[in-house]
Order: sequence, then C-alpha cells, then structure tokens
Amino acid sequence: MSFAPTDDTITIDQLTRDPYSVYRRLRAEAPVVRVKSIGRTLLTKAADTRAVKDNPALFSNNDPNTPMKRAFQAHTLMRKDGAEHMRERMAMMPTFSPVNLKTIWGPAYEKHAAAYLDRLPRNEVVELFSTLAGPLAARILAEILGIPDATDEEMQFWSQALIDGAGNFGYADEPFKRVDGCHDAMNAMVESRVPLLKAEPDQSALSVMINADDPIEFSQVLANLKIAIGGGINEPRDSLLTVLFGLLTNPDQLEEIKRSGNWSAAFEEGLRWVAPIQASSRCANEDTQIRGIDIAKGEIIMTAQASANHDEELFEDGDKFNALRPKTTHQSFGSGPHHCMGTHLARLTIGKIMLPMIFERFPDMQLVEPEKVVWWGFGFRGPLSLPVRLN
Amino acid sequence: MPRLTFVSPDGNETTVEASTGDSVMQAALAGNVDGIVAECGGAMMCATCHVYVADDWAPKTGTPSDGERAMLDFAASEVKPTSRLSCQIAITDELDGLTVHLPDAQI
Repeated sequence: MSFAPTDDTITIDQLTRDPYSVYRRLRAEAPVVRVKSIGRTLLTKAADTRAVKDNPALFSNNDPNTPMKRAFQAHTLMRKDGAEHMRERMAMMPTFSPVNLKTIWGPAYEKHAAAYLDRLPRNEVVELFSTLAGPLAARILAEILGIPDATDEEMQFWSQALIDGAGNFGYADEPFKRVDGCHDAMNAMVESRVPLLKAEPDQSALSVMINADDPIEFSQVLANLKIAIGGGINEPRDSLLTVLFGLLTNPDQLEEIKRSGNWSAAFEEGLRWVAPIQASSRCANEDTQIRGIDIAKGEIIMTAQASANHDEELFEDGDKFNALRPKTTHQSFGSGPHHCMGTHLARLTIGKIMLPMIFERFPDMQLVEPEKVVWWGFGFRGPLSLPVRLN
Repeated sequence: MPRLTFVSPDGNETTVEASTGDSVMQAALAGNVDGIVAECGGAMMCATCHVYVADDWAPKTGTPSDGERAMLDFAASEVKPTSRLSCQIAITDELDGLTVHLPDAQI
C-alpha cells in the first residue's frame, strides 16, 4: 500500500495568492499529494486531472462535504452524475445550440459589446473590470437565461454571493445570509418571467426548460439558472481581462495577432495561462490508484486544471503568456460529461467578437501600471483590476 | 479486435486496435492518436473529435444525428459531407479496417 504523501506546509493563503509556484513544485515532487489545509488529495499533472474527469463512473462529481448545497439551496447538476446529471443538463442545452449562438446570442452580444465600448471614455484611466468585463458578461447572460430585466449590478451581486456561499468552507454566517437574500430576489425574478415565457416562448434557458415536453422539476430549473449565474459571469469576465493583460504586456505578440487575425489563439492562450476555474473536485467511488498511489473509496480528489495547463510535459515555459505558441490543449473548460456548457459561447463572444472589436476601436490601448495588477484566487482566479488608457 | 486507421493531414497513418462498443474517439484517445482532442469526453458538447470518414466507409458508419450535425457547425476545420464527430461512431466488428482522416485543427 502506498498512500499519498501529506503536505502540511501549503496554506490556503499561498494557494490564493500564488498557486502556480506551489503547483510547479508539486508537479516535480509530489504530483499526487494530500494537502492538509484543503483537506483533499490534489492532482497537478495534466494526464491525471484529465483521466479523473474522463472517468465519471469511478470519480463522482458528488463531493458531499462542500457548502454548495447550503449556498444554492439545492442539490445542483454540478454535483450529480450519470443520467440524473444528463437530464438536467440537456434541459438547458437547446439554448446553447450552435444555431442559437449564431443567430441569436452572437448578434446580441455584438450589439451589447458595441454599446458598452461606446460608453468608455477616451484619454483617461478606465477600469475595465467594472466598466466592461463584468457588466457585459452579466448583460448577455441575463438575456440568454431569460431574465433580461435583471440589472448588470444584480446579476454580478448574485453571482458573487453564490460563489462566496459555495466557497464558504468555514461555514461563516455572513456569506450564507447574503446568498439567502439573493435567492429571494432571483426566485422572484424568475417566477415573474414564467407566465410571459409560457405565453411567448423564446430560446432562453428559462423558456426552453419550462416549455419542454417533459420538463424537469421547477426546483431544478431554478437551480440550473443559479448555476449559470454563479458560473457564467466571472469566467468570461476573468478570461477577457486575462487575455487583454497578456496581449498588452506582450506588444510583439499583439502585433502578430492583429496581423494574422487569430484572436481565437490569443483567447485560448489566456484561458490556458490563467484558468478562470482553477480546480474541480471529484469523489472516488471505489478504491483505486492514481500514478501508483492508493486512493481510498470516498476520498475527495482536487483536480487542478490550472496546474495541468502549465505541465512541463505539455508546455514549454507554461508560466508565460504566449499567444503564438504551437497549438496545445488546455483543460480550462474541463472535460468529461461536465465539460463547460458555455465553451462555444465563450469562444464565439470573446475570441471572435470582443477581442477584434476592442482592438479595432482602441488600437493604442495601454495598460496603466501593469505591475500593480493583483491576481487572486484558488478555486476561481483572475486579475482584480485592469486599468487602461484608451485612445 | 477491429482495427482503425487514422490519417493525419500530412498523410501519416496510425493504426490502433479498438474494442467493440467503444467509440472511434475513445479508440483514438486510448491509442494516443494525435489530432483527436475530445475535450468533452464524448458528451457531444464540443466538436473537437471531428473526423472525415473515408469515402468507401461512409455508408457503414451512417449519418450524423441532428444534434451531431448542429454541433459540427462548431468544428474548427471545414465541414464536409463525410464529417463526423468520432465520439458518435460506435465501433462494431463491421467497422474492422475503418479509415478516418483527421482535420487540420480541432480547436
């Protein structure tokens, strides 16, 4: 028997401030390691994180010991497996069909993106986190979900409350109280839309779910929408800010991308460099082994896709942003049955619409004091600000 | 065991042994075939296991479902009449010798 070594030196604070240096060491020294501070077995090699996610029969999504259920007031599809997960996922799936992305959500995003860019002042310092990346992600999500009356501020507040609640491993009172208040508001918003969408169905997620021939329970309709709210704002926000930071701090790469028009490559590199969702947990259904190390039934595995994306076996200088690197595959959208539902939406809206649009409008955009940008987060990660001067 | 051949855009061939019941995508991943990404692991969510079925094999692999056809619109490379998502082709003994061509890009 060879159980994973325990590391009791790594702190959550370290993982929040600078996970990549911890992961680099672990990939070399202990790629399967029990990290005492997070109470989980951490995987940092690309082959292992992928193998776990691609084997849902052996590794369940149902990590039972998280505050997620309490925060979401529901057992959501994120923590379900097999047919149960698939049924709830497929209920929302038609909204994200390629044809809807092409004919409805892509054009809608383009219109909103243009309007939000129009509002930005020139020749002064503008904070893109709060003026563009956050609100625009909120706007398109509200439309796609079928709750367009929710304001950008509401959507962002709800999203953060859900994230903070789901990450409230210390079970403090405040995050749960805050998210409980949000549930009242979200439920009221959704319920107010139901009669309208029953009368006049559209392709929004709420409409598609309630008008299906064999609809899922309304409690799960609500839960699905909340998962999308919790997970559909920070990722597009953070990935946009990350790729902008990468391009603006590497002007030679930016010039080449402008020349080639390969904005999608820049987007993928941003996602690889700093994965917006850095780690995901799974629960072993049976006794098994990973990399020759025994994993006991019931053990919670944390797969660090952030680390997989920097794995030396796959990437040269993985810690550096390089939009011109040879094509490689990152794991930022996850893999397996829980592969991110917004993948195509993100590739279309940010990679194909926003990036070319923003650099066409503001060809000489400059970062202001890039060295002061703070990167933050263990589960979710991105820059906390992106001050630029537009002209 | 049925054998499958994957032909890369530069003409390199990789032949793998496959288990019946698996998908062509799973056989490619198991055989470390470069050029099949399969980001979603077969959930028909990603269009990164796109292949072109060799013309003479197309009648045996069948035609894509509506959902597969819609997802193929998101393939990174040109979609042709022989395009399939390899996760949606189940391997049978009938497919022993199947040849598929890989596209230039999956993402």
